[in-house]
Amino acid sequence: MPQPSSQNPMLTLVSNAGETARQTPAISIQNFNAYYGENCILSEIELDIAPTGITCLIGPSGAGKSTILRTLNRIHEDAGDAHFTGSIQVLGRDLMSGYPDVTELRRRVGMVFQTPCVFPQSIAENVVFGLRGKKLSRAETRKIVAESLKAAALWDEVSRRLDQSALSLSLGQQQRLCIARALAMSPEVLLLDEPTASVDPVSARAIEDLVTSLSQTMAIVMVTHNIAQTKRIADQVVFICDGHVVESGKKTDMFSKRSSEKTRTYLTEEFCDC
Amino acid sequence: MTRRLSSRALTEIIFASTIRAALFICTAVLLFLIGTVLWRGGNAISLSFLISPATDFGKSGGILYQWIGSVIIAGTAAIFVLPVALGTAVYRHSYQRSGKGREALDTALYALNAIPSVTYGIFGLIFFVNILGTGLSWMVGSIILAVMMLPTLTLACVQTMQAIPALYGENALALGLSKGEVVRRVTLPQSAQGIVTGLLIALARAIGETAPIMFIATAFSGVTLPRSAFEPVATLPTHILALAQQSTDPAALKNAWGASLTLIMLAAMLSGLAFILRLKFSKVRYR
Repeated sequence: MPQPSSQNPMLTLVSNAGETARQTPAISIQNFNAYYGENCILSEIELDIAPTGITCLIGPSGAGKSTILRTLNRIHEDAGDAHFTGSIQVLGRDLMSGYPDVTELRRRVGMVFQTPCVFPQSIAENVVFGLRGKKLSRAETRKIVAESLKAAALWDEVSRRLDQSALSLSLGQQQRLCIARALAMSPEVLLLDEPTASVDPVSARAIEDLVTSLSQTMAIVMVTHNIAQTKRIADQVVFICDGHVVESGKKTDMFSKRSSEKTRTYLTEEFCDC
Repeated sequence: MTRRLSSRALTEIIFASTIRAALFICTAVLLFLIGTVLWRGGNAISLSFLISPATDFGKSGGILYQWIGSVIIAGTAAIFVLPVALGTAVYRHSYQRSGKGREALDTALYALNAIPSVTYGIFGLIFFVNILGTGLSWMVGSIILAVMMLPTLTLACVQTMQAIPALYGENALALGLSKGEVVRRVTLPQSAQGIVTGLLIALARAIGETAPIMFIATAFSGVTLPRSAFEPVATLPTHILALAQQSTDPAALKNAWGASLTLIMLAAMLSGLAFILRLKFSKVRYR
């Protein structure tokens, strides 16, 4: 049953996660506060992400959902004045001291952004873009390209034109190519920042199916504004508002009458007065 | 209502007429300049003019050593300036986190860009010729031209890098590329078009400069191809200046027009090359 954050949502999540409750979380966030300069963006976040399944972060714009994702991939470091306090364990290691080489973290924790962004190269080159440093044979490269595109449910649509520019793809296909590119790195966690916000409903459903399928083998943390989508695909839901976790828990609990009034108001009216 | 509309229409007519007049003045000045140089220089220019050395203080003969000297000085300057400008722009774009640091760098570049070219020449004369005792040297001229080109090229590189959507860099970083890899594989390929264009335009400007190299790198007559880095060369701008000072002599004036046309052709070739490369890069980018 979901509980307000004051009663430690982390414990709630773990206790509600059924099978996954006994597993070591892929990501464990404790007493997390994020700042841009002097501005506190997120405060006292406590959260555990199971090693498999989809965790949807929902909440109004500016709540701090994307900041959590950007911190988990340490992309936030690129913004000069971003910093945080608290503890974040990612795949059993501290986010900062456990990954002195940030590129290792980013290879294990993939991230896909809201706007599809393919590089002006061929479809195949895009898939292996992150692997260029590794000396792969042609056969290995072909195998990775095929496997990643199949995993991203794009293989059937592009297998005969791998050498064509990725810019020739539709936006929905480009977004799936971005997911394939992230999958080529064999991540253990996938962070998705509103991956269906820029694509048409048909492509959005294709991406939802893909994410659901991927969640069988990896932890997926997804920011979304789409409540119906959350209802369709989420295993766990975290409601964030004004930099705080208002409530978190299993989807069935969050969408039932057992959730708090604030959560129910947001889920039914997409309105929040935090 | 009608009166208000008429007033707006009148304002619109005045505005449109003003910008058309500005365009006409700009085009007319350019056409007049190029037309005059083509008309007057066309009579002087020939193959033998381009491949013969100057004689009689430039009044007769051609401009062989002058255009070769200009190409040597400007080409070497380009080799000097490119890595420095590129490095500065990359640092500012990808590594400089502080907004104040960026502002300070931009201010310095704009200030450097505003320094009159003759000041560079005087600085070169005092520092290299007087203090270091290099004497007249085309290499010193190239260094000074490179310093003069530095802000123009750096700002061109910065602007072209800023035009790259931040998403490209973020996506590459999120895939586990290091900052250096992002620079090599995203920033530089994406901005190559603008860098090349900026370099060629800076080069086109530098090749026509007289003041920075007049005191330190060139001789008005009696020079051939340099045998070392510490010898002067003849250049087109200084040759034109020398001939213009003898403008009462029709032969000198004719050769001055011919040399001017050659200089404009060199600059136009660089601009044309920039245009072609721009088209080529844009095709590669969006093929």
